[in-house]
Amino acid sequence: MSGMTIHPAWLGSLVFAAGLVAADSPTPQPYSPGIESPGYVWNQPNEEQMLALAHDADPANGEAAYAVCRGCHEADGSGRGDAIYPQLAGQHASVLIKQMVDVRAGRRDNPKMHPFVAEWVVSSEEVADIAAYLAALPIPTTNLKGDGAALAQGQALYARDCAACHGERGEGDADAFYPRVASQHYSYLEYESRLIRDGGRRNANPEMVEVIQGYSDADISAVSDYLSRLALAPTAGVAQSSNQSR
Amino acid sequence: MTPAIKSTFGLLGVIAALWMTAQSPALARGDPALGAEIAARVCVACHGPTGISPLPNTPRLAGMHSAYLIKQMRDYRDGKRDHEVMVNILVGLTNEDFDHVAAYFAEQTPILGVVTDESLLALGETVYRDGNPGSGVPSCSGCHGDLGEGTRRFPLVAGQSVDYTLEQMRRFATRERTNDRGLMQTVAERLTENETRAVAQYIASLSLSDIADEE
Repeated sequence: MSGMTIHPAWLGSLVFAAGLVAADSPTPQPYSPGIESPGYVWNQPNEEQMLALAHDADPANGEAAYAVCRGCHEADGSGRGDAIYPQLAGQHASVLIKQMVDVRAGRRDNPKMHPFVAEWVVSSEEVADIAAYLAALPIPTTNLKGDGAALAQGQALYARDCAACHGERGEGDADAFYPRVASQHYSYLEYESRLIRDGGRRNANPEMVEVIQGYSDADISAVSDYLSRLALAPTAGVAQSSNQSR
Repeated sequence: MTPAIKSTFGLLGVIAALWMTAQSPALARGDPALGAEIAARVCVACHGPTGISPLPNTPRLAGMHSAYLIKQMRDYRDGKRDHEVMVNILVGLTNEDFDHVAAYFAEQTPILGVVTDESLLALGETVYRDGNPGSGVPSCSGCHGDLGEGTRRFPLVAGQSVDYTLEQMRRFATRERTNDRGLMQTVAERLTENETRAVAQYIASLSLSDIADEE
């Protein structure tokens, strides 16, 4: 019988060897069940997210680890409106952590980004460090805006349907993992809102999917334009509350 | 010696060992003078006396960050990066030798690269600075720096030989070179052949002299 027993240490080395193989070549983004799957629970606690949220984040290390993100999201975290790369500067750390973890796990589809945020590139602790670094950056207002044609409509829709969660000023809610949406790129807001409405954003909050279900493309554009022009006063409070480890 | 003192010394030894482990290779501990002697013996034939290689498809090492050089030497020796000549040379050296050699080459001054096709520079600059959002290519400057100066983790690319860059990009794309955490494999795979050729030319045209002027 003893010959059949696998020694735990041997098992450990097998796992270790598998890890080394994974470190050698980039593997495609994995798949995790999302909103398309029965029983989906938004923001269900998972090990990596809890680990990152509990980590005593080090923004200085985050700045170094952010190097692999800069090529798309820019050194100042301003992203690129023309490329639909979101502005990350001043975003809540909790939101950034959740989204990075979801891309790593394959709950949010982003095969282009995945190789640069995969676990063999960025550790769980570095996810938190990067988030803390970005959350404390000043929010640029050079973000891409819409054509300004339907701002009143956008404002009315936002006040009616969105402000309850994303805040009167688009400031989001760090504790609830709701993103800051003010001063985000128009293109990104529009793209993601449509994706959420149409079921393509697999880590979406079903409550939001329901709210945005009746929106036309024009409605989405109007709200996106309104938000892209909504500037948040750069208060220390925003950065600090988003930095809190939870 | 009382057992208490013995154990104190034992603990100090453990702490010292841990400290040294923690320092290596994060901080350059190499001696450039010792490195110069080793380089003159084993590196000079291919990489030149100051890390500016006269040979085609041989990387320029002058000014590379020592941590990057140390990692590459260890990877060659440990079979994580393939090169028949390099592995045969490096198995004869110790980790300390690597530190010394890296410190020596890191101290050398890079010189202007050789551009062989100026018509590709404009496209190369676009790729280097903006990447290609359509195919998911990040800008090169994000990791390698605005001037191609590199960091501890990402190599200096300014002035690098065009054919060496192209050969590495080919090896990344075909997964013959895999000691990059997958980053360059992804980039090389997503770049078109023309973009790759263009960025290799642009890299060769980059110079760190702007930094030197500022300092």
